[in-house]
Amino acid sequence: MSTELIKVTINGKEFQVAKGARLIDVCREQGFNIPSFCYYADLALQASCRMCLVRIEKMPKLQTSCTITCTDGMVVTTESEEIEKAQRAMVEFLLANHPLDCPICDRGGECELQEMAFDWGNLEERFTERKNAQPEKYLSPIVANDPQRCILCKRCTRVCDEWMGEDAIEAGGRGANTVIGTFGGWLNCSECGNCIEVCPTGTLLDATYRHQARPWELQQTVTTCTYCSDGCQESVGSRAGEVMRVVARDRYVNGHNGEFLCIKGRFAHTFINDETRLRTPMIRYKKGGKLIPATWDEAVKFATRGLDKAAEAHGANSIAVVGSPRLTNESLYALKKFATELVGTENYTATDAFSLSPFFQNLGGQIATHRDIRHAKTIVLIGGEPEELQPFAGKQIRQAVRNGGAKLVIINSTPIRLKERATQFLHINPETEDAAVLAIFNQAHNELAARKMGVQETELIELRRTITNTEGDVVIMFGGEVSAEAQSLLAQMPYLFNKEGRRALLHPLPLYNNSVGATDMGLMYGKLGATEMLDAAGDSVHAMYVAGSFLPQHLTGREDSLGKLDFLVVQELFETETTRFADVVFPAASFAEADGTFTNSGGLVQRVRQTIPPVNQSKQDWVITAQLSKELGVDFGFQMSASAVFGEIAERIPAYAGLRYPLLKDETNPVQVKHATIEQRDLSQESEAIRARVEKMSDTATKINATPPVGHELFKIGTLTDKLPQMHLLASGNPKPPTLAVSPLYQITVDAGMKREAIGGD
Amino acid sequence: MFIGAIGCEPLQLKRVNLEHSRTIDVYKRNGGYDAIKKVLGGMSPDDVINEVKKSALRGRGGAGFPTGMKWSFVPKDSPKPKYVVCNADESEPGTFKDRYLMERDPHMLIEGMLIAAYALGARINYIYTRGEYRYLINIMDAALDEARSAGLLGEKILGTDFSCDIYTHTGAGAYICGEETALLSSLEGLRGHPRMKPPFPAVSGLYACPTVVNNVETLTAVPDIIKMGGEAYQKLGTEKSGGTKVWSVSGHVNRPGVYELPMGYVDMEKFIMEDCQGILNDKKLKAVIPGGSSVYIMPAADITGKGVRMDYEGLVAAGSMVGSGGFIVMDETVDVFESTKNLIEFYKHESCGWCTPCREGTDWLVKVFKRIARGEGRPEDAQLILDLCDNIEGKSFCPLGDAAAWPIQSAIKKFPEDFKRHLAPLTMQTETEVAAD
Ligand SMILES: Cc1cc2nc3c(=O)[nH]c(=O)nc-3n(C[C@H](O)[C@H](O)[C@H](O)COP(=O)(O)O)c2cc1C
Ligand code: SF4
Ligand code: SF4
Ligand code: FES
Repeated sequence: MSTELIKVTINGKEFQVAKGARLIDVCREQGFNIPSFCYYADLALQASCRMCLVRIEKMPKLQTSCTITCTDGMVVTTESEEIEKAQRAMVEFLLANHPLDCPICDRGGECELQEMAFDWGNLEERFTERKNAQPEKYLSPIVANDPQRCILCKRCTRVCDEWMGEDAIEAGGRGANTVIGTFGGWLNCSECGNCIEVCPTGTLLDATYRHQARPWELQQTVTTCTYCSDGCQESVGSRAGEVMRVVARDRYVNGHNGEFLCIKGRFAHTFINDETRLRTPMIRYKKGGKLIPATWDEAVKFATRGLDKAAEAHGANSIAVVGSPRLTNESLYALKKFATELVGTENYTATDAFSLSPFFQNLGGQIATHRDIRHAKTIVLIGGEPEELQPFAGKQIRQAVRNGGAKLVIINSTPIRLKERATQFLHINPETEDAAVLAIFNQAHNELAARKMGVQETELIELRRTITNTEGDVVIMFGGEVSAEAQSLLAQMPYLFNKEGRRALLHPLPLYNNSVGATDMGLMYGKLGATEMLDAAGDSVHAMYVAGSFLPQHLTGREDSLGKLDFLVVQELFETETTRFADVVFPAASFAEADGTFTNSGGLVQRVRQTIPPVNQSKQDWVITAQLSKELGVDFGFQMSASAVFGEIAERIPAYAGLRYPLLKDETNPVQVKHATIEQRDLSQESEAIRARVEKMSDTATKINATPPVGHELFKIGTLTDKLPQMHLLASGNPKPPTLAVSPLYQITVDAGMKREAIGGD
Repeated sequence: MFIGAIGCEPLQLKRVNLEHSRTIDVYKRNGGYDAIKKVLGGMSPDDVINEVKKSALRGRGGAGFPTGMKWSFVPKDSPKPKYVVCNADESEPGTFKDRYLMERDPHMLIEGMLIAAYALGARINYIYTRGEYRYLINIMDAALDEARSAGLLGEKILGTDFSCDIYTHTGAGAYICGEETALLSSLEGLRGHPRMKPPFPAVSGLYACPTVVNNVETLTAVPDIIKMGGEAYQKLGTEKSGGTKVWSVSGHVNRPGVYELPMGYVDMEKFIMEDCQGILNDKKLKAVIPGGSSVYIMPAADITGKGVRMDYEGLVAAGSMVGSGGFIVMDETVDVFESTKNLIEFYKHESCGWCTPCREGTDWLVKVFKRIARGEGRPEDAQLILDLCDNIEGKSFCPLGDAAAWPIQSAIKKFPEDFKRHLAPLTMQTETEVAAD
């Protein structure tokens, strides 16, 4: 849109508006209420609901304001008898075949159609004919469908196509028989549920929340999702201490993700109130014995005594402090403080899949937020699989390409689904991502890199040309496949590609909601990494204090390492492979019960808000840490308030300087932390190390040709997603149930455990 | 059935009654492919467009848009490919002229498309027919093969630098796919929904490239315009409605058929009573729908003795439209309520479902008409029907909504007694029916 201003007259008043502005937006900004259903920002125009009609001088007929671009001198009327009659007529039409039984509809009370009927509906129904009735059914384990409430605004089909790249739902039939449906009657997609979210009616519904609660009974709390590094803002609906659902509906929350969420964020929240949550602190009085419930006092004392003993016997460095990158900044900060200031150990880390510390230590430019990705002109994606691992980043990439005309270059050893949207796909040999980074960093290595990657040199030249021809932003994104040295080169690339009119922005793709926060809090800069620490167990490491659990990938081949420790303290939600050897276990609060902040992959630091009181006897992780320190004779001075912890973070960690909770209040305007950048530096050592490694790569590798199926990562069962029975159906291939009218959970038995879950635990 | 011209030399129907009229030989022997030779022998694309402009040819698909003007909207400097698409969807109830033009003289359409493609710089072109016209595709494909073998299609046509090809494509049987933008969606393999205008197809049509969509009869008029010159063609008709028009005559006349008349033919009464040999079984004329189901119905009183002129302006003056030229004649036995019910059922069935007023409005209207037909009409129904029509008209996404409303509105206005009879209380209705029997 240009900055040139033009004059439009709306209802007799003159306004200066940007040339090319959309009339419906302009009217709304000026406070004129224009009803609409099908118009949805950043989706293809539909113009089918005919609610947004206005009268424009010199134009025949009423016009749909959602399709009109303002022109100079335009004279518009939005309120008149004629317009009101038309709008009331549309609502009357939409309600004609609607069952009008809002009291039994899950959407009742927060339904756009219902609200429209209050404003534009007639008191009396003139439609006295027989209604077209259709049965309710399921489209997937998590999407329920009541077709007779549909107004065919096609928001659902458009988000499915444009946001998700799935095209899994479409309209079928014609005229009044048109229904929103699926191919083959069953949804085999990434099950994001965004179609449910954007549906303005009770047609597409959350099947996990079906007939569970009425919206007005729910307390809606805005918070940050606990799954991936996208940091989506969501609204958690709870009733009497129980989380009932998660939505991103814009009437409740307006984060950078809009109404977008993925399957995990939206549906996999049942772990919060799961009956297997740890109930009390527990002590294993004897190695090999049972964990026995204890009081908080007892357990804290037992834990500090154990840690003290290890320190006395083997020195401070024999104690390792470990935090999960799922914890809040506050909890991770407390752990780091505990390790360095209280215990005085050099061994601390976060249980992340890979470390971003080389990247942040060499940072030579700005981190791209998700908004920057959406408006980028070129996106270079090295490794990673955002459509499975960071679904919102995936959506932003798709929209940048589709709606913004961005160029997308994908460098990946696997033909990931996102490549369908790519302008250029470099299908490289497995594990040669570093070669790609090397060639982008210095084209002198093109020949070597191309040979090892199994691509043509011209492809690398084309890739470079795409970057250097860009006007606007280039966003370079990378996954965990690149090495530490390659991360350093990537971090310095802005110095190579920044130019007048072009910014090179960076966007790492870590796996956890607070991977970046864990790095910022300093936890990733300890001496040993997670696996090294396990290997040192019983050797140089004799005791561990773990908030969270080690990842399965850390423990494979090291299943018994933790057993070699003298003493192990664990804070967890559930019993896990890590608690199996613990001497003391504390029940920890989940994100839904915690106050704090997460820092996402775009560097946005966003609030986590307590939505329900802590479940059972659990406590927030930093509270437990503070309690342990107090018992050890050091008062951290947190005054039992998360905001006080954050205040200290802001004082001590430069990137967070000056921040306070009140500044993070508004999720609509998220704050990006100021990661320190370093000057351009000599990277010859790193690039030489990479070159040497690339030299050793095989010249004759075989390519991976299979595109991984939808959900191969998303539907993986983890400790948290395990608690959503529907996830097990999806993980087992999402079988189509015998009848669509009955919930698949009642029809399909994946295994004996599933059956028990499904029919309510008897 | 009659096929022929009245009041003028046959142009469109010149060859339809000849033996083997479909073959390229017969076509060539009767002046065929002379026009394309003339065009390639020294006319520039602009010359062609100018002749078409001078001819005052207006689109025969229904909207009557001036064809030369439409062609001149195609941006010449666009680097994108351009397309000519022939609209052979012919689904308007009462219309069956395109079918005979293609069945009996397919080469005339090919030649017309070649000239259009030359004028617009189009390399690839399509003929889109309705699903039910499957058999026409075979005829068209055979003719296209003949033309290709004769060097009239493909690379370097007639040894010039002009290369052009034409392909056929069938829809799956949906009226809406006759609407030009829905047709383009369908041709691209998408659902047959209309698209937003603007952008108009001339700027962004097939695959978002400049595209001209023309009706079969519009394109088949082009060779004669080139041969005789635009001005001479225009003079066959009236100032604003040039040339001749092909009418599909059906209903209660003694001689239904496909009639070519000069534009401005006077008058409609003579046409029905003499040219079509009067009303079947000596009944009286009750009504005419002159331009396909989507136009206003005309009662006999607006025709008899009124000297109605049969061209675009004449029919508007007489209270209706040329539309697609589907001329439906109804005698006094017709119950206009019943015939209107039949039409609204058609529109309900064919509504694509995209927009609220047409989808829900036609569904509701059908339910009301059916209820009335069951004898459960209420006095307030007439007002309800008119109000529903008003709520559809002018508010729908594409003109199909309007097309559904207009015939009902005019039927109620012009034949109120046919509606009243059904809306009156049951006892009275039986009385009238008994009296009528
Ligand atoms: C609902 C609807 C159906 C239509 N059906 C046809 C059709 O079957 N054949 C046709 O030529 N035009 C049809 N049209 C008109 C086309 O949209 C378009 O105006 C025409 O093909 C343009 O060609 P012309 O300028 O040669 O008339 C239809 C329009 C509407 C709104
Ligand atoms: S299901 Fe919902 S979002 Fe989809 S078309 Fe129907 S009303 Fe609109
Ligand atoms: S008026 Fe609307 S529903 Fe009817 S055919 Fe056109 S777009 Fe489809
Ligand atoms: S909002 Fe404009 S037509 Fe639906």
